[in-house]
Amino acid sequence: MEQTNPLRPDGESKGGVLAHLERLETQMSKSCKQSEEPQSVQAQEGALGTKIHKLRRLRDELRAAVRHRQASVKASIANVEPTLAVEMSEQEVLEEKLENVKAVLQAYRFTGLSGKLTSRGVCVCISTAFEGTLLDSYFVDLVIQKPLQIHHHSVPVFIPLEEIAAKYLQTNIQHFLFSLCEYLNAYSGRKYQADRLQSDFAALLTGPLQRNPLCNLLSFTYKLDPGGQSFPFCARLLYKDLTATLPTDVTVTYQGVEPLSTSWEEQRASHETLFCTKPLHQVFASFARKGEKLDMSLVS
Amino acid sequence: MDTELAEVRALQAEIAALRRACEDQPAPWEEKSGVQKSFQAIQQFSSEGWKSSKDLKSQLGHLESELSFLSTLTGINIRNYSKQTEDLTGTEMTEKSIRKVLQRHRLSGNCHMVTFQLEFQILEIQNKERLSSAVTDLNIIMEPTECSELSEFVSRAEERKDLFMFFRSLHFFVEWFEYRKRTFEHFKEKYPEAVHLSEGPSSPSMVIRSASQPGFELVIVWRIQIDEDGKVFPKLDLLTKVPQRALELDKNRAIETAPLSFRTLLGVLGIEAALESLIKSLCAEQNG
Repeated sequence: MEQTNPLRPDGESKGGVLAHLERLETQMSKSCKQSEEPQSVQAQEGALGTKIHKLRRLRDELRAAVRHRQASVKASIANVEPTLAVEMSEQEVLEEKLENVKAVLQAYRFTGLSGKLTSRGVCVCISTAFEGTLLDSYFVDLVIQKPLQIHHHSVPVFIPLEEIAAKYLQTNIQHFLFSLCEYLNAYSGRKYQADRLQSDFAALLTGPLQRNPLCNLLSFTYKLDPGGQSFPFCARLLYKDLTATLPTDVTVTYQGVEPLSTSWEEQRASHETLFCTKPLHQVFASFARKGEKLDMSLVS
Repeated sequence: MDTELAEVRALQAEIAALRRACEDQPAPWEEKSGVQKSFQAIQQFSSEGWKSSKDLKSQLGHLESELSFLSTLTGINIRNYSKQTEDLTGTEMTEKSIRKVLQRHRLSGNCHMVTFQLEFQILEIQNKERLSSAVTDLNIIMEPTECSELSEFVSRAEERKDLFMFFRSLHFFVEWFEYRKRTFEHFKEKYPEAVHLSEGPSSPSMVIRSASQPGFELVIVWRIQIDEDGKVFPKLDLLTKVPQRALELDKNRAIETAPLSFRTLLGVLGIEAALESLIKSLCAEQNG
């Protein structure tokens, strides 16, 4: 029954107050019993007076005890709850802050550059995209020491990482990462265009698409009218600028024996311009649309 | 005597009731509701709570330093981000094991003095072969709106739905903007009478006048351009204002060729030195 309570430092147990009161009561009842013995009226009256007196004292003590109890309960609740409330809300505030920070960290991938601190330094994640389509991500794990080192990375081997690092890594990490971003985004974009050509417009290609891993040299033959009689055009696209997604040199040649008619020659020249100014798969999309228009005109 | 007896009985009754109250009322440490719960909570809190609070604090500290690093690296300070996801997979799509999810993102923050708010949607389509993610809608609100050089760039980014280009170019644009402002301020401070900034240090042009040679004016227009690919570069031009008579006297056509010469000068000396040499040349007498 005895419990040590950390909230009540005086350690007063339940037994204490009541036991005292019980003793008082036993005293009372003893004196009551004693007073029940036949006595003279005067003596009885006197005894009654004392009894009342004692009963009153007992009642007052009990009242005080009850009040004391109530007060201490209230006090201990008051002691406990505010601190608890303060601690709980501090935790809540921390948790909310933590959630917000985590969310914002997630959002950084939309800037194209995000990362995590590591025990050695930082692991930077470069996201790539081409005209709204989100593409592959690459990471570079940097070790913070003098000199700054690349611990490991997922950059393809044909991207000139060492060159870029040699130029900027030691002097300006930001410049290094932005430059790498440029190369990787351009590579991703070129690769995306070539992939789309192969997957979506295979019908217009008369042979396999030839490409190098860096996707900056493409060679393919195509026909505007797949079923038609004309000879196919042969296109060669060279992207000298590795930070660009459009080719720098385009040659479209005709693979026939006879010279081209004027209209075909015009087409050939316009194709060269198209390949230089629009993304590859979009050029082919326009070819496909023209093809449909042609069909429509045949029908009508 | 009767009244006294009555009082005795009343007192005894009250005592009995009070005693019951004493017994019923548990000791403070036994209170089940309120205090007990609180106490239990404290116990739990002490074992997990204090630990997790410390954990939380250190976790928060770690993440905040990560955030500050990214903010410095990208030049972009993102302050708020929220995301909603909507599953658009229809029943026919599930049969063909195609899954379509639309994400709605909202983020806001600032890049130095430019604040931005972006709302964009990303559509994710997962079929058997691959997962494709594409930005299907992009809305950008920027402040201050007076940066006219930026508004064209913003509409282009929105049209192309090119998030990354937006942030990268914004960062470089703001860097150039701040550099231009610092440079103009520097010259204004150094040559207060000769240099005039019509719209304050953020204006794109700097006017050089010499009190001793009224009528002559050199205007340097420094634009910050963002090309189709999002590359940011400065474009400086020199405009001259000279009195008619001076033009007539100019046999070597120095004034005519000034803009071109300025370009060459820029290439040789760089921006700051070229501007300084221009100011000095016009105000040579003052400095002499």
